[in-house]
Amino acid sequence: MAYDVPKDLAEKAAIMREFGRRRAAGEPVPDELYAKHVNATNDHYATGPEPGQHIPDFALPDQNGVLRSLTNLAGPNGLLLAFHRSAGW
Amino acid sequence: MLEKNGVRIAAVSYDSQEVLKGFAEKHGIGYPLLSDQDSAVIRRFKILNVNIAPELRAHGVPHPVNYLVAPDGILIRKYFVPNYQHRVTASAVVLQEFGTVAEDAARIVLRNKTLTVEIGLSGGKAFAGQEISFFANFELKPGWHVYGTPLPDAYATTSITFDDSKIVRQSFELPEAPPMKIAALGEALPVYDGSFQGRGSLLLKFPIEAGRIVLSGRVCFQQCSDTVCEAPETVAFELPLTIEPFMVPTPKK
Repeated sequence: MAYDVPKDLAEKAAIMREFGRRRAAGEPVPDELYAKHVNATNDHYATGPEPGQHIPDFALPDQNGVLRSLTNLAGPNGLLLAFHRSAGW
Repeated sequence: MLEKNGVRIAAVSYDSQEVLKGFAEKHGIGYPLLSDQDSAVIRRFKILNVNIAPELRAHGVPHPVNYLVAPDGILIRKYFVPNYQHRVTASAVVLQEFGTVAEDAARIVLRNKTLTVEIGLSGGKAFAGQEISFFANFELKPGWHVYGTPLPDAYATTSITFDDSKIVRQSFELPEAPPMKIAALGEALPVYDGSFQGRGSLLLKFPIEAGRIVLSGRVCFQQCSDTVCEAPETVAFELPLTIEPFMVPTPKK
């Protein structure tokens, strides 16, 4: 996209706050603000392990308090593990 | 769709177990939502989003990555779309990994006297900014072939290209073409004959207005037999796709 990526955390935070304010208020988000927000959020993005590598071990509680790891999550052909922002906002 | 293919789903976020429980109940989510409250696993995967200032509530969230992991823990593929809200479609994952497409997906058959090409999308719906896949099944009459790569300039490689008005990035891959000695030419060239399949991916632009759009593309090929070589041909095609409305907070089950 044609919009610049902001350089520092404070500038990014200002964009994110305005985006969040408009979303919370139910106001329309102009395309330009949306694009700036996406760029600020994705600056220096990282995507973690590479195909062929072993993923890091993990054990986390699910929504019912059951401790989950790859062993008790994967189906016969594997697991689609999706990292999300938040379910709370 | 993934479940039918033996792949289970789990999601990780930095929310508390209570928030996740409420979210799962509200939206009827059956798969596990994992609570990584201090973002320790997010950090271990090295995908913490460092653009978010500590005073913001979003501090601690990951970059949006989906991992398709084999049961033994080896990463098969990962999906990242530079738009935090929308991911590669489940149907695109299923087409890439298991070769099946959604029932609502558009497909088209192109036919001339020697070649039949069936081209189809992985799914019928997608969000702007999302990645979808497509397949192409080629079938040649006996005695005829088309070309792979690498190829001398005089010949046309088999390819599929979509118009870029709605697409940021695209790819199309065919299996390796075995070399075949062309008697009339006395040289060996990489060719396809009989039946073969190609796969590709399309990263949709953002934004695109919601509703039905048409993805236009073209197939290029040059069909030859042992004795005749025809001129390269380009055949245009169109495949419809429904772009879903942008802000849809309700996740799919």
